[in-house]
Amino acid sequence: MTGWMQHFIIAPIVLPMAVSAVMLAFNERRRALKRVLSLITMAGLVVIAALLLWQADGRLAIGDTGPAGAYLLGNWPAPFGIVLVADRLAALMLLVTSVLGFTALFYALARWDRSGPRFHVLFLLLVAGVNGAFLTGDIFNLFVFFEVLLAASYGLILHGSGSERTKASLHYITINIATSLLFLIGVAIIYAVTGTLNMADLASRIPTVPASDLMLLEAGAAILGVAFLVKSGIWPLSFWLPRTYAAAAPPVAAIFAIMTKVGIYIVLRLTSLMFDDTSGDAAGFADQWLIWAGFATMLFGTLGILATRSLTHVAGHYVLVSSGTLLAAIGLGGQALTAALLFYLVSSTLAVGALYLIIEPVERNADEEDIIAGIAEPVFDDEYTGAVVGEETEIGVVIPGTIAILGGGFIFCTLLLAGLPPLSGFIAKFAIIDALFDDAIIEPAAWILIALIILSGLATLIAMTRAGIDLLWTPGEDSPARLSVIEVAPIGVLLAACLALMVGAGPLYRYMEATAAALADRSSYIDTVRSAPRAGENPL
Amino acid sequence: MADARLALLILALPFLGSLVAAFLPARARNWASILAGAVTLGALALLFGFYRAVSNGITVRYIEPWLPSLGLDFTFRITGFSWLFALLILGIGALVVLYARYYMSPKDPVPRFFSFLLAFMGSMLGIVLSGNLLQIVFFWELTSLFSFLLIGYWHHNQSARDGARMALITTAAGGVCLLIGFLLLGRIVGSYDLDTVLLAGDLIRTHDLYLPTLILVLIGAFTKSAQFPFHFWLPHAMSAPTPVSAYLHSATMVKAGIYVLILLWPVLAGTGTWYLIVTTTGLTTLLVGAWAAIFQHDLKGLLAYSTISHLGLITLLLGLGSPLAAVAAIFHTVNHATFKASLFMAAGIIDHETGTRDLRKLSGLVHYMPVTATLAMVAAAAMAGVPLLNGFLSKEMFLAEALEAHSGTFLDWALPMLATLASMFSVFYSLRFIHQAFFGPPPTELPRTPHEAPHWMRLPVEILVLLCILVGTIPALTIGPFLDMAVQSVLGSRTPAYSLAVWHGFTLPLLMSAIALVGGVTFYRLFGGRLNAMTNPPIIGRLKGRRTFEVVLAALIDGARAAYRLVSTSRQQVQLRLLVVTAIAAGSLPILSLGYSFGTLGPTLIDPVFAVLWLLGSAAAIGAAIQAKFHRLAALAMVGVAGLSTCISFIWLSAPDLGLTQLLVEIVTLVLLLLGLRWLPQRFPEFWRDDQVPFQVRVRRGGDLMLALMGGGGVAAIAYAIMTRPAPSGISEYFMQRAYPSGGGTNVVNVILVDFRSFDTLGEITVLAIVALTVFTLLRRFRPAAESIEIPDQQKVQNAFDDAHDDNAFGDTAEHYLLVPRVIMEWLFPFILTCALYLLARGHNLPGGGFAGGVTASIAIILLYMANGTRSVEARLHVQPVRWIAAGLLCAVATGAAAWFFGYPFLTTHSSYLDLPIIGEIPIASALLFDIGVFAVVVGTTVLILIALAHQSIRTPAARRSATSSPVDSDSQERCA
Amino acid sequence: MEVVLALAIGLLTASGLWLLFRPRTFQVVLGLSLLSYAVNLFIVAAGRLRLDAPPIVGKEVADPALYADPVPQALVLTAIVISFATTALLLVVLLASRGLTGTDHVDGEEDDQ
Repeated sequence: MTGWMQHFIIAPIVLPMAVSAVMLAFNERRRALKRVLSLITMAGLVVIAALLLWQADGRLAIGDTGPAGAYLLGNWPAPFGIVLVADRLAALMLLVTSVLGFTALFYALARWDRSGPRFHVLFLLLVAGVNGAFLTGDIFNLFVFFEVLLAASYGLILHGSGSERTKASLHYITINIATSLLFLIGVAIIYAVTGTLNMADLASRIPTVPASDLMLLEAGAAILGVAFLVKSGIWPLSFWLPRTYAAAAPPVAAIFAIMTKVGIYIVLRLTSLMFDDTSGDAAGFADQWLIWAGFATMLFGTLGILATRSLTHVAGHYVLVSSGTLLAAIGLGGQALTAALLFYLVSSTLAVGALYLIIEPVERNADEEDIIAGIAEPVFDDEYTGAVVGEETEIGVVIPGTIAILGGGFIFCTLLLAGLPPLSGFIAKFAIIDALFDDAIIEPAAWILIALIILSGLATLIAMTRAGIDLLWTPGEDSPARLSVIEVAPIGVLLAACLALMVGAGPLYRYMEATAAALADRSSYIDTVRSAPRAGENPL
Repeated sequence: MADARLALLILALPFLGSLVAAFLPARARNWASILAGAVTLGALALLFGFYRAVSNGITVRYIEPWLPSLGLDFTFRITGFSWLFALLILGIGALVVLYARYYMSPKDPVPRFFSFLLAFMGSMLGIVLSGNLLQIVFFWELTSLFSFLLIGYWHHNQSARDGARMALITTAAGGVCLLIGFLLLGRIVGSYDLDTVLLAGDLIRTHDLYLPTLILVLIGAFTKSAQFPFHFWLPHAMSAPTPVSAYLHSATMVKAGIYVLILLWPVLAGTGTWYLIVTTTGLTTLLVGAWAAIFQHDLKGLLAYSTISHLGLITLLLGLGSPLAAVAAIFHTVNHATFKASLFMAAGIIDHETGTRDLRKLSGLVHYMPVTATLAMVAAAAMAGVPLLNGFLSKEMFLAEALEAHSGTFLDWALPMLATLASMFSVFYSLRFIHQAFFGPPPTELPRTPHEAPHWMRLPVEILVLLCILVGTIPALTIGPFLDMAVQSVLGSRTPAYSLAVWHGFTLPLLMSAIALVGGVTFYRLFGGRLNAMTNPPIIGRLKGRRTFEVVLAALIDGARAAYRLVSTSRQQVQLRLLVVTAIAAGSLPILSLGYSFGTLGPTLIDPVFAVLWLLGSAAAIGAAIQAKFHRLAALAMVGVAGLSTCISFIWLSAPDLGLTQLLVEIVTLVLLLLGLRWLPQRFPEFWRDDQVPFQVRVRRGGDLMLALMGGGGVAAIAYAIMTRPAPSGISEYFMQRAYPSGGGTNVVNVILVDFRSFDTLGEITVLAIVALTVFTLLRRFRPAAESIEIPDQQKVQNAFDDAHDDNAFGDTAEHYLLVPRVIMEWLFPFILTCALYLLARGHNLPGGGFAGGVTASIAIILLYMANGTRSVEARLHVQPVRWIAAGLLCAVATGAAAWFFGYPFLTTHSSYLDLPIIGEIPIASALLFDIGVFAVVVGTTVLILIALAHQSIRTPAARRSATSSPVDSDSQERCA
Repeated sequence: MEVVLALAIGLLTASGLWLLFRPRTFQVVLGLSLLSYAVNLFIVAAGRLRLDAPPIVGKEVADPALYADPVPQALVLTAIVISFATTALLLVVLLASRGLTGTDHVDGEEDDQ
């Protein structure tokens, strides 16, 4: 059986690809079949990701691959062929992706998958692309998978068509094509200097690069970095992001929550592989840029959260805030901080996903004017004059089940995003700050990061309460719209996942720390790739 | 002693109860209240289980590991002090539940109310039972959340919504400060465990992070317990149902801040900073609250401000920093809880029975509700500090402490007077409360005719008032032991000798109380009558917390708006410029810092033909750049030229595969763009004449030009630097050597594509497939712009010609247009297809391969379309592109997966050669199968895209009728789907 | 040769960038295709210049020194395909946007000037 088990590493990519290929063979009328197929696939992906996580954690031996499994495609030895690596980090990202994907897909069954053709195919291929980006250990293969997920995302944004979506996607596509060209230039330069594309091989070759070529290498790395930072939504290269996500259909926006994290993941992976303490000031240079760009992004996101009127834009800017937080944390470095930011990454991704899913039903239940009602303008009445206010009915109103459920969900989302207990957002926030306080001397950058984390949290709280009160508490005339289980269940699952993150924080955090430790010494990754076993002798 | 794990149960019970209550039907008021009562009493019983232990000075601890790696364990810790607090929370909680059962209207969906109330109770218990700093913050924020829900319970009222939001934002913000403060504390001590922290007092007070820590913790505590200047949220919380006010503002919510202050008193207090900040804040709050209370017309408003002032009193006591003061603080906390709760309930009863809380309307109620009146009077007397009531005792202690010299600052001599003044105020407003509500002429203009409240509603008040009297008369027997153990657990060895005697003889404090009483009464006699006329309190009436809050919030948001507009854009051009600028900066910074240098390789000599080729190419590129706006066709052609020179250079640079592929792609792209051109709008001539282009436009264009040149220059420089360097010994040798032996192909590039790196190719065809689907989806809903729906002029002319000549039918000319080329193109069809297959087959050894073949095949099909027009082609041959794509993908994936069955990884290939007659030896590598998959996908994609575009032209008449789909459209979809 | 190729790449990039900054969708499309030419040439250049030495090896074990570096060529092939696909997509999106918004401005609305 182990013989088959070892192919699990590639399943997260091949399975959705194959299934979508099969689905293509049926025409649009076989919708039910497609729904079942794609749901089963996503469920399967969750299981597989969980298995991979287990084996990455060394609890489960899959085949003959070591704790961090590497998979040699085409059975070609390591630096030459393409290799997939399912170490702790990759496995974690896979699990997050598949959970988010499953819930978003389930939600889409409510009606969204009917608002355009080929939704399921595009969705599965997007997931395949994301998984590929997480698994691959080869920078050009990474480019290919970026293109896969981008192409799918183009299709998904346009899903349901409409003027707003088309306009938004025009920007999105143009900017991303330009970014992809940057990506290619970067890869080309790095290949020209090092003569390899394999990340592990790259990591081991970089120290041997002659000093005269360093400028090229660093230029290439920097250009590559710009490409990744665009993906992860850094200011000032991310103005397109909130608008695009807001234009997309809710389940699409929800799954997009993972896409910025792909960029983050690559930055984390490559910085840990390419620059470590030995690689001198180049590393420090990159770190400084990450830190300050991260701060700028957080600040921008916070402003956006306060400034915007619509919840979808709040969510979009929150995505920016979390990216900024992560990038700044990556820049500040340190093992404890890495563990904390990983926890934060998981928590915030799931939270944003849940938020994108819940916004639409909430706004559906509100009266039109509530949605545009925006800010509470300053009320120029005096200090408390309760009795004089008079004419208030002191009888509570019965809250309809729908609103009660939505309200609960909404409150949970708010708590998650603002980093308040009892959900994982609190742990994440406190873990990061705790890690920042860990060092002997707290450097100014750490203080700034803390301040920004707190500010963004408060801004989120203000914006969300404002919106929530307007949408859910202000009595509306019309009876609440009906809410289907298909819509509620996924939101519930995501929030439950965050609750689980909170309750099971202990073991989970140990996993994060192990991951951080593994990232800290790149030799482990290199060895995994180098020592990846070849199956028998290459057949001729 | 009871099992420590029961502590867990004490905490769990309220939350469980809340969960159950949440699911009760909206009308089940009795069940809900019974549940709530039972839960509270149960927890109370459990709490008493611990009494023996804690009264012996034992600290009950129970640790449930939660997040050990961050020092966050779920720690229960019951000491005398926390036990006393828990007693208050649960005891008063039980009374409030009983009270609420009768207060809330029968029509009210009370289960939700009780659910919130229980959850809040649980959170409060969580704070006082926590043995870990972070756990305290955890429940602290929960209290903020649930108080928000409770205050906003009647959220159909604007005031409730605003009050709730204000309370949440204020206290949650404070909570964040508390979190940071505690994290710093933990960092100083090295642990978040409370007992450890409490032992590290000296370390903390001398640490250089002491000041920030202190300030952050204090902000947290002050926001929660409504200390000036954060007091403004509390009066607005009065829009909550009265039971909530009675609970939040007597024993819980606001006392959470006090709890933390007392808890950390041993480690934080005792420094000058502490004294200065805490004492002054407390004093200000005490005076401001008391003063404002005097001028409230709303019963609850009056009580709210008196709460603020009493909280100030407690804070002040804690600020003094002497152990005796701390004792007084703890004592007064308990007393205040009892009398304030009863007063709120009384006010609630009045409101309930008379329909108003406006002191100006109320009067003479004593005749209608004697019992309530009596109760209220006793409670108010306790609040005013009248002897023989509990308020008096703690007030005495307070005054005594006020007299002690603590700091040697001006506060020492100011305190006694100000304290007396404050007590005078409290006498004043207590008196006003009683006098205006219960005495005087019978009330007029009341919404309802008042009468005594039901007995069960009065019971809680009666119990509380009884407590006030008992504690006031026989303190040693009642509160004595509890207070003692609480004090012991907080102060430990520093516990001072204090006496709870009612009578200390004629002392200065007694005199001060007397002055306060007399003064209060006289002032009320003098000014009491005028109060009703005043709208808001003099002096401090000016500082309007609520308005400030709203204004600040609005300003914050407007500021954010302005700033956001400043730093964001929705324009694509700007975003692209920023992208390029960043990229250029990123690329050039390392080069500038490390220095640019050529490589060692001497340049290969320039081939003039190649130079000429690129003179052409560059000229074409530049021309395209200039012409693209107004002469699209010309620009397109020039781009084509640039593309051609690229192809040629590829071949020149010994990359025949690239040359071939690029050429084919060129053709397809060109057709594509040509098809697209038809739908673009008429371009009007340049907006400005050359001589009068506005300045900023010139600047913008100049900037773009600069950027473009910098980018180009940068890329060129890097390219040159690379080309002059010797190639590193990379992975490519391996491919060269193993291409034929292991890959079974001599065309290394193709072997790489379908074998060494076939995973890339798989991804690449996936991209193709996705794009094809997207394009198809888009064009299905395509709505051409109005003016481009018109059929081209040429066709118009032709049709006009047909109309003119009656011998030929409509559309004949268009039909016969370009007859000869059409025939030729039809003949070409099979030939090109053969070429395609040949390219596919030979790809493994010579330039070609699946992609090249695929594009060629699709070109054949396109030619057919161009020759005979869409309809006639589709009448004869049924291209089903999506099927092709599906088949191709499946074929590729299956080929890859086949390796599994031989126990090899995905995409492992197997190759051999097949010797066929005539054709000769052709490779039957499994890679070929893979390449066939590629072929199919490419054909499918290219054809699908082009057909979909081509279909637009036969849809347009339909588009004029209904913007969406037409018969032609739909059947074309079927064909494509 | 190197100089010529480098200049060619530079000029293609420059004109591509110029078009990329223009407000009309069609200009942007052309700009992107010019840029992709430049990038493809750049990648080939990254494998160093080899004249008339195509990587078509004989059946015996080959000496790498005699052939051009095949890896960049493989990369370029993939890149060509992908950029073709994305260009096609962009074109169609711009047509759709032009149809829906009535303008071919990249922002879907004429900027006020």
